[in-house]
Amino acid sequence: MSPEPAPLLAVDGLVKRFGGFRALDALSFRVGAGEILGLVGPNGSGKTTCINVVSGLYRPDGGTIHFEGRSIGGLASHRLVHMGINRTFQVPRPFLTLTARENVEIAIAYGASRERPGDAQTLLSSLELAAFADQPAGQLNSAHQKMLDLARALATGPRLLLVDELAAGLNPAELERVAIKLKELARSGIALLVVEHLMGFIDQITDRIIVMNAGKEIFEGRLADASRNPQVVEVFLGDENAA
Amino acid sequence: MFTYSLLAGLLFGLYFSLIGLGLNLVFGVMRIVNLAHGDFLMLGAFLAFWLFTLFALNPVPAIVIAFLVFASVGLPLYYLLVPRLLRAKDPEMLSFILFFGLSQVIEAVTTIAFGTSERSIPGDQLGHAVAAVAGFFAGHKVDTGPVELLGQTFPASWVASGVASGCAVLLVYVYLYRTRLGYLTRAVMDNREEAIATGINVHRVSAVAFGIGLGLAAAAGVFAPFMLGSITPAMGGEVTVTAFAVIVIGSLGNPLGTVLGGIVYGISYMFMQSYYSSWANLLPYVLLIAILLVRPSGLLGRRVRRA
Amino acid sequence: MPRIVRHVLLILLPVVAAFAILPSVYGNQLLLFNFMIFMTLTQGLNIIYGFTGYLPFGYVGFFGAGAYGFSLMVIHLHAPPLIALPVGGGAAVALAVLLTPLFRLSGAYFSIANLAAALAVFQVVSNPNLESITKGPYGISLSGVFDPTLAYGTALAVLAATIGLVIYLRNSHFGMALKAIREDPISAGMAGINVVRERVIAWLLSALVAGLAGGVFAWYVSVFYPETVFSVEFTIFAIVFALFGGNATVIGPILGVIILYGIYNAVGISTPQYFQLLYGALIMGLVMFLPNGLASLLQRWGIDVP
Repeated sequence: MSPEPAPLLAVDGLVKRFGGFRALDALSFRVGAGEILGLVGPNGSGKTTCINVVSGLYRPDGGTIHFEGRSIGGLASHRLVHMGINRTFQVPRPFLTLTARENVEIAIAYGASRERPGDAQTLLSSLELAAFADQPAGQLNSAHQKMLDLARALATGPRLLLVDELAAGLNPAELERVAIKLKELARSGIALLVVEHLMGFIDQITDRIIVMNAGKEIFEGRLADASRNPQVVEVFLGDENAA
Repeated sequence: MFTYSLLAGLLFGLYFSLIGLGLNLVFGVMRIVNLAHGDFLMLGAFLAFWLFTLFALNPVPAIVIAFLVFASVGLPLYYLLVPRLLRAKDPEMLSFILFFGLSQVIEAVTTIAFGTSERSIPGDQLGHAVAAVAGFFAGHKVDTGPVELLGQTFPASWVASGVASGCAVLLVYVYLYRTRLGYLTRAVMDNREEAIATGINVHRVSAVAFGIGLGLAAAAGVFAPFMLGSITPAMGGEVTVTAFAVIVIGSLGNPLGTVLGGIVYGISYMFMQSYYSSWANLLPYVLLIAILLVRPSGLLGRRVRRA
Repeated sequence: MPRIVRHVLLILLPVVAAFAILPSVYGNQLLLFNFMIFMTLTQGLNIIYGFTGYLPFGYVGFFGAGAYGFSLMVIHLHAPPLIALPVGGGAAVALAVLLTPLFRLSGAYFSIANLAAALAVFQVVSNPNLESITKGPYGISLSGVFDPTLAYGTALAVLAATIGLVIYLRNSHFGMALKAIREDPISAGMAGINVVRERVIAWLLSALVAGLAGGVFAWYVSVFYPETVFSVEFTIFAIVFALFGGNATVIGPILGVIILYGIYNAVGISTPQYFQLLYGALIMGLVMFLPNGLASLLQRWGIDVP
């Protein structure tokens, strides 16, 4: 029996405080290469904070983060990008005064972690954005801006992609396309951590999920098992998005 | 020399607090940098000068008049300039430039109207007023000359400025912490979005704060001829930088912080003047930069401004 | 033809040619020189404000540092002007390096702190205690280097280099990165941009431009007081010209200088108060109605502004 491969991302005892408030309270989990891990939980449970810490926006106050075996807690975002980590934003933040193509180009120019940087046109086409390539990003609708945000993240050639509530506001056809795209990325070896509220979307794309509450993980396993776990049910009681 | 510097620093410090108070209020409530603050102080000084010259009005009622006049100017000025500004992408920087433009306009108009020569009011005028008030309370005539405090002598105008500034600070404190409008103002200072969400008429609160801010600047201007020397239309710029130093030292949004900042600034300045006078001019700038870099939230520590 | 070549041909060459030829046609060389200085300063300010959004209200501090750097080299080390000039630029860059901690501050705080820094430098330089080094408040009088023609030519070279630099910014990934940083530093970080480093590079370049302008100014006039080269008027004019013409473009500052400084010299000098009123009102109008300057108006009409 072959030994389990080392996880791409290993988070142990991660703590993040804002004043007296513990947004992350000794959070621990693993993500392996080619795996799609779902991260769910009620509002305020710390899902986005988790992404913010792993992607370098915040410094952790305790615990460790290891990416491909290297400790990365506290490193600046641009360094993490060069190491192969990237993320999307819950509310997309493209550079509004740059065109869609320039948004991708700048990420390729500054953030590419592979020796062979990607091609902006190909990336835009794969996300159905080729038609808008020369328009300022500010003119795109929110769904297209989300896709542009994803393109920006993918342009840097990440091996770990953190996805923050991509599904919100997308119509079923767009959701389907995004699901296919994410699974395609996983098949190519990229590890994905997907934060979501939409359980149907989670069910479709993830192999395994983690349920967070109040900064801690309270459940780890398959989505189907989660809905049978009494603690999970209690945490989600009243949450209309529960499947 | 030490005691003198300390007490003079205290008196000047209270005056600097008054100068900073209006700026602090405006920045705290609207996140707007009123670079024309010093120019409104200058206008208050000129108003006092003209009231004295034309009506032989001594400075004490002039303070009240200056405050009322410019507070009422502030209200329409707010509605004219600020709401549009706040809709822009980068209101803080644009406000900086906008009010800088306003300061140039005020300076230019004043220079055109009054010329560039310096004006001053004789120091004993304030002394007369102080003596009158003191005489009223003491029941007998009081000398108008220099005042003695703890064995050191100061011009009566300095003492009067210090006392008046202290009173103004107290009034602002009462406004903010004991009146309903002040309570709403503090809410807006704390979190503008939340205040809007709870239905507070933020524009009205801000307009009043803006008016008070200008009024305070003008009121401080009444004392300017005594505390800062002669007044010219171009004096506003340096006053604004000083006011900024005071509010930054003392922490944003908290009027007590401005008092602390003013006193720290005043005492430091006096000591510099007494012991290292040739380098004293450097102090405000060095102090400002040092505080911003070492403890940007100011001495009382609230609301850090990081990029 | 590539955009960058187009920009060079359309903007850089005509401007250089104009300033090269005009002195032989139009007698007032000092005025042309001043135009070049302001054009250089405005472009320099454009680099830091237009491209990164930080407004250094003490920008003149670099100009003065350059002037004094140049002058001290000439006075104390008897350096030839063309050696002293880069040193002047270096002095401004050194000052900029010293001030990099200010970037921790946001918006208005940065501007005020920068203004305080420039005022502090002025106080130090003009302090009578330092008279033996900087000649204190009595001003500098450079003997032996007075050469208006060569100084003019050097100023033209500095202007050309500066315009070239801005053209490069406008057409390069570096310029794009700066605009990205200006818009959204967090998102820029996630695009792999080292926000701090790129911003500092722009800052140092901007300071270098002002320092070289200051140095060549000191060379041309050879006699000046500290107030002259630390006059906040330089900063004010540069800000207004840049604002009027439009930020983050090449042509904006050029247009701003030509129009506004032109008006200033036509009417302003005789009636400074009225000019002050005019440009104060102009600043207010611009901020309220056209915060991105003339260039944005042209862009709204669909013209691709260089």
